[in-house]
Formats: sequence, structure tokens, C-alpha cells
Amino acid sequence: MNRKFVCWAAAFVLSAAIVGCSKSSNQSSSEGQSAAPAATKTVDMATAGSISGVVKLDGAPPKYKPINMSADPYCVKANPNPVFPDEVVTGDGGTLANVVVYVKSGAEGYSFPTPSTPVTFDQKGCMYTPHVVALMVGQELQVLNSDNTTHNIHPTPADNREWNKSQPPNAPAITDSFARPEVAIPVKCNVHPWMKGYFAVLANPLFSVTAKDGKFEIKGVPPGTYTVEAWQEKYGVLDQTVTVAASQAATSDFTFKAQ
Amino acid sequence: MPELPPDDPIKSRSFANPILIAFFVLLLCVSWAMYQEFVGLRPWRGYQNEFASAYSAYLQKELRARDAAEKTVSSSADYQKLVANLNQAQDAATPKDTAIEKQIAVVDLQRAAILHAFQTDRSLVGSLIYDYEIVPNTADYKSEKQSRLKDVLDAEAKTYSVDWPDESGKTTSRDMNYKQLNDGFNQLLDKKAQLTASEGDANKPVKDAQDALDAYLAAKLPGLNSTQLKGLLNTVQSMDVTLVQINVNPPGHEINDVGGVGLTDRCQSCHVGTNPKYVPPGFVLTKADLGMQKSNDAPFSSHPDPDLFKWHPLDTFGCSPCHGGNGRALSTVETAHGRYEHWLWPLYYPENYEAGCQQCHSADAWTEHAPALNEAKMLFREKGCIGCHNYSGFDSQADQLQDTIREIASLEKEKDTDNQEIPQLNKQGDQAPDNATAQKLYAQATNLTVSVSKIDARVEQLDELSHSLQQEVKRVGPDLKEVRMKLNPTWIPYWLSHTWNFDPTTKMPQFQLQPDEVQAISAFVWQQGLKGPALDKQPAGDASKGKDLFNSLGCLACHSIGRGSQQTGGDVAANLSRVGEKANYDYLVRWIHDPRVRTAPYDPYLHRDLTPADYAKKGLPFVFDLQHSTSPVDGHELVVQQQTIMPDFRLSWEEARDIASYLMTQKDPGAHYDQASYINDPSLFDKGRTLVEHYGCANCHEISGLEDAARIGTDLTQEGSKPIERFDFALLYTKAQDGILPDGKHLVRDGQSSAWYDLKGFFDEKLADPEIFDEGKYKPDPMDRLHMPKPNIDPEQRDALVSFLLGSTESTLPPSYQYLPTDQRKYIQEGWWIVTKYNCIGCHQIDIGQKSVLMGLPMYQGDNSIGLPPVLTSEGARVNPEWLKSFLANPALSATDTDRDGVRQYLKVRMPTFFLSDDEIRKLVLFFEALSSQQEPFIPEKLAPLTDQERSVARSIFTSPAAPCLKCHATGNLAHDKNATAPNFLLAGQRLRAPWTERWITEPATIIPGTAMPSGLFVRQGDRWVFNGPLPAAAKQYTGDEADLLTRYLFEMTPQEQSMLTGRTPSAPNSGSSSAKK
Repeated sequence: MNRKFVCWAAAFVLSAAIVGCSKSSNQSSSEGQSAAPAATKTVDMATAGSISGVVKLDGAPPKYKPINMSADPYCVKANPNPVFPDEVVTGDGGTLANVVVYVKSGAEGYSFPTPSTPVTFDQKGCMYTPHVVALMVGQELQVLNSDNTTHNIHPTPADNREWNKSQPPNAPAITDSFARPEVAIPVKCNVHPWMKGYFAVLANPLFSVTAKDGKFEIKGVPPGTYTVEAWQEKYGVLDQTVTVAASQAATSDFTFKAQ
Repeated sequence: MPELPPDDPIKSRSFANPILIAFFVLLLCVSWAMYQEFVGLRPWRGYQNEFASAYSAYLQKELRARDAAEKTVSSSADYQKLVANLNQAQDAATPKDTAIEKQIAVVDLQRAAILHAFQTDRSLVGSLIYDYEIVPNTADYKSEKQSRLKDVLDAEAKTYSVDWPDESGKTTSRDMNYKQLNDGFNQLLDKKAQLTASEGDANKPVKDAQDALDAYLAAKLPGLNSTQLKGLLNTVQSMDVTLVQINVNPPGHEINDVGGVGLTDRCQSCHVGTNPKYVPPGFVLTKADLGMQKSNDAPFSSHPDPDLFKWHPLDTFGCSPCHGGNGRALSTVETAHGRYEHWLWPLYYPENYEAGCQQCHSADAWTEHAPALNEAKMLFREKGCIGCHNYSGFDSQADQLQDTIREIASLEKEKDTDNQEIPQLNKQGDQAPDNATAQKLYAQATNLTVSVSKIDARVEQLDELSHSLQQEVKRVGPDLKEVRMKLNPTWIPYWLSHTWNFDPTTKMPQFQLQPDEVQAISAFVWQQGLKGPALDKQPAGDASKGKDLFNSLGCLACHSIGRGSQQTGGDVAANLSRVGEKANYDYLVRWIHDPRVRTAPYDPYLHRDLTPADYAKKGLPFVFDLQHSTSPVDGHELVVQQQTIMPDFRLSWEEARDIASYLMTQKDPGAHYDQASYINDPSLFDKGRTLVEHYGCANCHEISGLEDAARIGTDLTQEGSKPIERFDFALLYTKAQDGILPDGKHLVRDGQSSAWYDLKGFFDEKLADPEIFDEGKYKPDPMDRLHMPKPNIDPEQRDALVSFLLGSTESTLPPSYQYLPTDQRKYIQEGWWIVTKYNCIGCHQIDIGQKSVLMGLPMYQGDNSIGLPPVLTSEGARVNPEWLKSFLANPALSATDTDRDGVRQYLKVRMPTFFLSDDEIRKLVLFFEALSSQQEPFIPEKLAPLTDQERSVARSIFTSPAAPCLKCHATGNLAHDKNATAPNFLLAGQRLRAPWTERWITEPATIIPGTAMPSGLFVRQGDRWVFNGPLPAAAKQYTGDEADLLTRYLFEMTPQEQSMLTGRTPSAPNSGSSSAKK
């Protein structure tokens, strides 16, 4: 009697579990679909405006010691003058370089073609040039080695796939791309531990990286209101809301506070 | 008077008659019951009485003979002298002995006299000392402590009166204090020990004389002496006629548990001669001894192999576990022997006794005391039973290899699936709606990448394993892929239909084939044969040189040549008397030069032979051997060798051509072969293939397209446990029940006519002629007939195989009875599998008492036995295992100079290369070590380096005319070695073990009886060996062990030293032999 009851109970629980499971899996898949709404609008370049501005640092940048490259004689030879870490690079008047400024939200309704020109990332004098590279999801990245020594390129992403490839001198460019937006993926060279760089992978092509003068310009922005974000590797991010009118240039300046 | 009723039943009827009848019936019943009680149900009573009288008569006869013999011996001069010696010794010893005995008696008396006083006083003093000790040693107790000390001193000073006996027997009264008693007692103990020792010394001559007399008597009059015989006779004459039973109750197990109380065997109730109480161990009793040789019913012989009881004690094994039968039953011979319908374990017939061993020794390759079983196991492989029938433990490498290949294939598939899934998972991750899902998917892909790499690691391991297994897997029959290169096509159909006519000793069974089947099979095999690459053309060789080589190299250890009474050689491989009729010369040369060479490698993953094109695609030369054994296509292990046990004799091409030329002359002049044009008829191909699959040809032969053919026969591992109903006696069922054989004769077993409706009957007839079970059956399609061909075995071999099958049971004995040793005996069994596989025993004697094939050949008789391969009974103790490993891998002991034997270049017979796998080499080395009880791992004994003085002594021994070492031992000098019969000393250091060498140079005949190495080179002096020959005065001063010295000298031998001793130029230790430079 007892045994029979247990059997029935087990069967009931089992069937309930099956129904429950199938329900929940249905739900999750439908959620997944709704989470990625189809972006159908294309940008009309005739009405597109731009966002530009200057990024500055409020306060003095940290002081760095010269990098000790004695681990690889080639690197020492390649840099007759001392080289400093490029974590915080400022220009005259506190302008801040290597800041990625990009449209963080507001452009989800548009579909943007992936830029066909690859982004290059060079290893020169045992340093990365540029130090920060911004690129769109799926855009081709070309890694070059201009040094006469072997480097390895090791991006350590959180959301993307990790890889680690060796590149001897005169080797062909390593090409790859990233599938998921991520600001920003640290890149390192395990052979030369001082080498650090960043890949900022963005969902749209509305981004720009500041030069030493702190200036940036994001072109081809369709009219609308956006959240624009500035990212600096040491100081983090700053957000601003920017409205772009048709065929107009909007300005937006950012100031990071030195810590 | 009252009138009686006319019909008073009491008065008018009498029950006398019924009562009388009832009385007689009752009497009859009682007598019948009494008869049954004492005789009918207890035939063993009769047997015991019969035994007692016959055995008493025998013992009396023996006793008379013994008395007479003892009389003769006791009247001999030697005996008299020994007795006189004994008497003399006794006379000399008796007075001393008596005196000492007397002294001992006095000591005993004195000890007894003081014992009581001594014990009392010791107790008292002891207790007072304790009282003193427990008083604290402080000022408060000072006075008490002192008073207690005084008590102790008083007690010690107190005297006891002792009646002290002296030697004259008088007693005097003595007063003794504590110290005197104590010392006196100890002195008495010492004195007694001294006296006892001196008594032993005094009697030693007597004991020696007695020992000498006993030894003399034991030598002259072996066996039981008359006193023992009389005792035995008494036991037998007063024999209590009673039931004798052995109760076998192994702890924790219920053996053969009818009713769960253990096994009870009452066999000795009738088989009285096996009872050690009446026939003591070492005493052999036969029917002839009892004058009963003509009787069929006299179960009184003693056990023919009493040694077996050393390992199988009666009280743990009983009788029936080995012999079968119903050990409890006593009423009739049939029931006791279990030879009735429903008893599952009938007694084995004498020709199948060893079936009993197999039950627990099924995992053995070689079981001592079971020669028939050992032969059966070799036959099971050699005759190819194993080709079609699985038997657990046999030929497991082939199965292992198949499993490995399957596992690799399935892992590769898994890897492919994974490799396809990885990019998919990454893609899904790229497109995932949120980062958490993406990370999960990326992690899955990463995990798969890691598992692919793990698969790669596993596949690498399996490839390594299959490399080893590919070397170990051998097929029973020759490779049929190469028929087009090696065979005369007209020979194939002749062979299939006249197999035993062509070679009466072949292992190939005779298939009963119809002419159309022969044609179809021949055509299929021929058309399926490899067509290229073509063989090299070989010039003709010198047949007479080839004949010499063939007869001397050792080919005859496996092959035979000649017919009928002219036949010589072994039966493991083919008889070669007609090989010239079938073989292609070019192929034969290649085969003899290196039989492991294949025309094309086989890829078990692609299921085809690779071609030069497959290699060319990868830019590789068409080279495949053990060093190049991976497939250029899939990277896995190939079959790169012929799967034959035929080894490589490392011959030059010239020598191979000579032998092949000789073999090509081996023909029957009267042979005639029909044309076989149908062999190229493609329309026969499909039918041929069907037949080849039907008859399981590919179970023994390698045939293209059928390399993976599964065994077609039934699994025989537990064939002896199958119920009789599962054996298909077909239309012979009634005949089997009636004991009528297929040929119409009545079956007689063990002297009595018998039915053959049992397992033995089925196995006997099936092995004699499997076809009989098809007789009379309606089988219109020839494919419905039984597959099994007729095996080529003689009746003795058949008995052996039947024993093997009968013993192949799912044992009813507890698992602990199975012989599955885990110590060195395990290595011995593992080794025997390999030794029997490669027929090492064709050339070598390995087990004491075992004879090699070569030992029986006419060319090795008498003085010629010096040319035999070495005896290996002590190989494990003789050689360094590291050296043995390298020798087994390459018996030439040289990478370049291979056309020779590495150790015994003076022998014409040569150790060939077997291409053993690493695992086989390891097992063989362990086997030889285990056979000689050598410890593993081997740690060589450290030998002290020779001092200059020692070296010069050793040289004088070595060059002494009494030790003509280099008369026989080779030096590497061609002229010198022409007459050499023993190995070069230069090898000693790396090859030999020092302790063995020392035993060898002192007592070689105890290691290998009959060896050419002389004994008596050294004599034992005290605890050292001394050279037994003249030595210069300087050398005579040496006080160390001279055998040890010579051993150390030999282990340090250098070419320079050797040439200095011989006065010849030195030659390198591994330089060539005479045969290499022909």
C-alpha cells in the first residue's frame, strides 16, 4: 500500500517537474527574444549630426617612474629615452588622452553597418600604439608587430572570448574581432609584463578616442537624445545626456577628477 | 451342558496359517533388512575386508623379504664394522656417562634439599625489604626506617638448617644463611648445566656411530623397516571395518554445499589404499602388489601422485572437488562415482583426470603435474581452436586490440563532434542576449576544447598501447592477402580439398567442401589478394648450403621435414616436404630473410591496406616498420608486420636464398595439379566471399575486407558447465543413450560398456568428426550444415582437449580455491603464456624435466648435444635482468652486426629475433627471475675490485693447466673460436650475476646436470673454496675464497687481459662471428 503511494507520488512530482521545466524554458527563450529588439532604422546621413568636445583632467596626473625594460635587451635598445607608463597621458592645460567617448544609449533603434576598415594595434618599442583602441562589435582588429622581438597578445575580456597568441618579428598581422560590446578589454603581453593596452568594443560606431589635446568628435549621429559616456582606464566613466538636432553639431565636455 | 453355537469362529477357525505366513514374511523382511544393513547397502564393508586380507598378505610377504634383507645386511662386513664401532663407542662412553649421571643425581638431590629453605627465606627477605622501602626517607621516620633495616639484616643473618646430601650418599646438617642459600642454589644450577654438556660430549662418538649405522641401513635398506612393517601389519589386522569420511569445511565457505554443511567425501571407505593410516606417504601400493591386477573392482591402489597432497591437503580438498563423483554416496559404485542421470559432476575417466585440475587452474598457461592439460592449452592455440572459439584468458591481445581500435575510433568521433560544437557554442555566445549567457556558452566551448585535448592525450596513450598489441597479436594461419605473391594458384584448390594429404601434420583442419565451394573459395581468396607492389626478383641460391643452414639454425624446432617415419622436427609449424610445389621462390626468400615483412601496411581505422599513393600524398616514402608504424592518413597505429610467430633469424640475403633454394627442391615428384582457370572468374567472387565468411576462414587467416571478422564459434570458457540438454546430439541421441558409436561399435570406457550421452561423449565425438552430427539431417542448403571442420589431432591430443573442455566449468568451489597467485607465481604463469606462444620450448629446456624438440632430433644425440641451445632452468639466477631485456629485444647484441648470435656465436643454432613487445619482454624477464626465485628489482652485488696481488693469483688460476677455461670459452678470435663451446668472458660483467657465477664455477652440474662445464675445479676447505690444481708458490699464499676471486676476475675481464692470456691480438667484445663473414 505504502509502496504504491510512493510510486504515485513520485510519478506526480516527476510529471509536475517536466511541465514546470518545459514552461520555464519556454519563458526564458521568449524573454531572450524580447530582450534583443530588432533594430531596423538606418541612419540617414543627410540629417545626421555630430557630438564633439574636450576631455580634461582636473588636478595633477600621477607621477610615474620610467619603465624598467631590462628583461628584454631589444626593448632597452629600442628606447634610448626613458619610457613612462601611459596610464594617464595629459596634454597642455590638463587635456586627457586615451579616453573613449561613445554613445552609450539612445541609439538602440538604429542598425549600423560594421565599419569595413580594420583597426590596427601595433607593438612598437615594446609598447602598444595606440594604447587604447576602440572598435565596433565585429569590426576587424589587426595586430602588428613592428618590433624585432616576439610578443604575445593576450586580451583578457570579461564578456568576450579570451585568446592568447604569439607573434614573432615579421609575422603577418593577427586579425580577430570581438562579438560582444565590452568597455574595455585589457590587453597584455606576458613576455613583457609592462605592456598594457585596451580594446574598447562598442555596440555602434558612434565613438571616438581622445588624442593628447583631449579632443573628440563622434560623427554620423542621427538626431535624438543620447547618453554619452567617457571612459578612462584609471578614472572610470562619466555620463552626460546630449541632444543632437538634425545636421547639427552638439558639444559635450568631460572633466575627470584626479584622485 | 449348554450347546455351543454351531459356528463359533473362535473354536472353528484357526489363524495359525496367516500368522505363520506373516511370520515368514516378517522373517524374510528382517533378513533382507539385515542383509542390506550389513552387506547390500554397505559394499564398502566387503571392500575393506578384502583389502585387509590382501594387504595383510602383502605386508607379511614384505616383512619376510625385509627380514631376509636385514639379515643379509646385518651379516655383511660393513654392517658388522659399523655395529662394532657403535658398541666400542658405547663401551667407551658408558663409564663416563654413568659417572656424570651420578653427579647429576647428587646435584638434583642437593638442589631439592635447599629448595624449600631458599624459597622461604627469599620470600621473607623480599617482603621485609619492601617494608623498609615504603617508609619515607625523612627525618620524621628516621628511627622507623632504621628499625626496619635491622629487620632485614636480621632476616638475612638468620640461618636455616638444611640436610645436605653429599656424593657418598650421607647427609650432614648444615646451617645456612640467606647469602649461602642464594649462592648455593645458583652454583647448583651452573653445575648441572656443565654436567649435561659434558654428558653430551661424552656420548658424541656414540651418536656419530649410530648416525653412520642408520645412514648405512637407509642406503642399503630403503623403505619401511621391519618394526614399522610390523606396526602397519598390526594396524591392518586389527582394522576396524567402518565408514571413513573426510569432512571438508573451509572456514567461511560452504564447499559443494548440499545442505550447507560442507563437503563430505567418503571415498576412502572403499579406496582404502589412499588412506595414509594404512598406506603411509612414500609407500606405493599397486593392484599388482595385492595380486589383483586382473580385477576390475579392486579400488585399493595408493594415490599415483602423492606429491599433489603437498599443495592440496586432503582435509581442505577432499577427493571429489578434483575427481568429480558423488562423495557422499556409498550404496553402489555408480552412485558413488556420480555416473547416473542427474548428477552434474560425474567422476572423470582416467584419460580425463586432469579436467579436475582445470577447474581451479584455468588461468594457468602451465600447470605442474598436469602435462595433458598443458598440451591441451598449447593445442588450443596451435591447432587454431582459438581462431573461432573464444576462451577467456587465451589470445586476449587480439580482443584487447579490437577494443582499443574501437575506443580510438569512438574517441575520434567524439572529438569531431566536439570540434564541430566548439565554434557553434562560440557563435551562440557571440549572439547571446546577455553577458551571463555568453559567458556560460564561452565556458562550455572552453571546456570542450579542454576535453578535446584530453581525448588527444587518451588517444595517444591508446596508440602506444596498440603499438604494443599489434606486435603481440598473432594469427593462427598465414596471411592470405599475399597469396598472389607466394602461391602457385593451382595449389590452392588442391590444398582446400586434400589438406591432410598434402601435409599430414598441418594445423589446418579439414573442411568438408563440395567441389564448387572449393572453386569459389579459391577464386575469392585469389582475386582478393594484393596485386602489388611487385616482389624483388631473387637470383638462385645454393641449395646444399641451404640444407645445412636449415638443419642447423633451429628451423626444426617448429617445422618438420620428411614424411612418415622420415619425419623430423616440431609440429608447431608446417611440414615443409612439399613446400616447393606451392611456393614462389622470390616470396620465400623474402619470408626467410624476414618473415615479418609485409607487402602493404593495413590501416585498421580505414579498413584497408595502404598504398604507396597514400604515403606519396603526404610526401612520405612507402616505408612501414616498427619504427614507422603510424598511418600517414589518420595518424594511428598500422599493422606493419606479418602476424606470424615465425621469428627473424637475421640472415643475409645470400643465406635466405640458399635456404629458399633448398626448400624449393622439396617436392613430391608424383604430384599433379589440375588447371584452375576459374580462379580468375569474377562471377565466383561473391559466392566465395559468402563461403569464406560462413566457414570463418578469416578467424585464422588475414583476408582483405574481412580483417575484423568476429569469431564464429561458441565461447568455450565454461563449456564444461553447460547442461547436457544444450548439446545437440542431433539424430545420434538414441545411439548415444545406447552406447552405440557413430561407426556402429559399442563404446567401452574404463573396461565397461557405457553410454555416451554425456559431455565427454559429445566432446569426444565432436572432436573426432564434427560432421557426424549432420548425418541424416535434412539440410538442402549446404550453408545450413555445421561450420566446424575436422581438427587434425590424434586420439591422445583429443583426450587432452576433452579434459580441458570438461574442466572448463563455472566452478562450484569457493573462489579462494581458484589458483590466482599474486606473488612471483603470477609472473611464472604470465611468462608461460609467452613461452608457449612463441614455442621457446622448441629449442630450450625451461622447466626441469621438460624436453625441447631439438633435444629429440637425431643431429643432437650423444656428443652432439653440445650444439644444443642453452638450458634455461636457472636463467633468472644466471643473468642480469637488464642484460636479459636487451638480449631479448636484440639477440644479436649489436645494432649493426646482426647476422650472428650475441652470446653463443660458436653454436650453429641461433637465437632469432621475435620482435617481442616491451610488455612481453618485461613479463619474460620477470618469469625467468621468478622461476629462479630471484628478488625483484635486481640490485647487483657490489664486487670488490681486484688488488694487483689478487689479479696475479687469479691469472695463475685462470691459466693453470687444471683450469683450461679458454679451451672451450670463446674469445672473439675466429681461429680460436672454431672449437669454442662456451661464451666469451668479456660478456660476463654485464651479463651474469656474481653469486650464480661463483656457484657455476664450483658446482655446475648441480645447476645444469650434464653440462660440458666440468665440476671439481675448486674444492671446499673449511669455509672457503680453494682451487683444485697446482698453483705457483706465490699464489698458494692467498687465503681468501678462490672461487670468489676468479668470479671477480672474470667480471673485470678486458680484451687486453684476454689477449695477454692467450698471446693473441685482442678483438672487440661484440665483433663478428664466423658465419657472418662467409
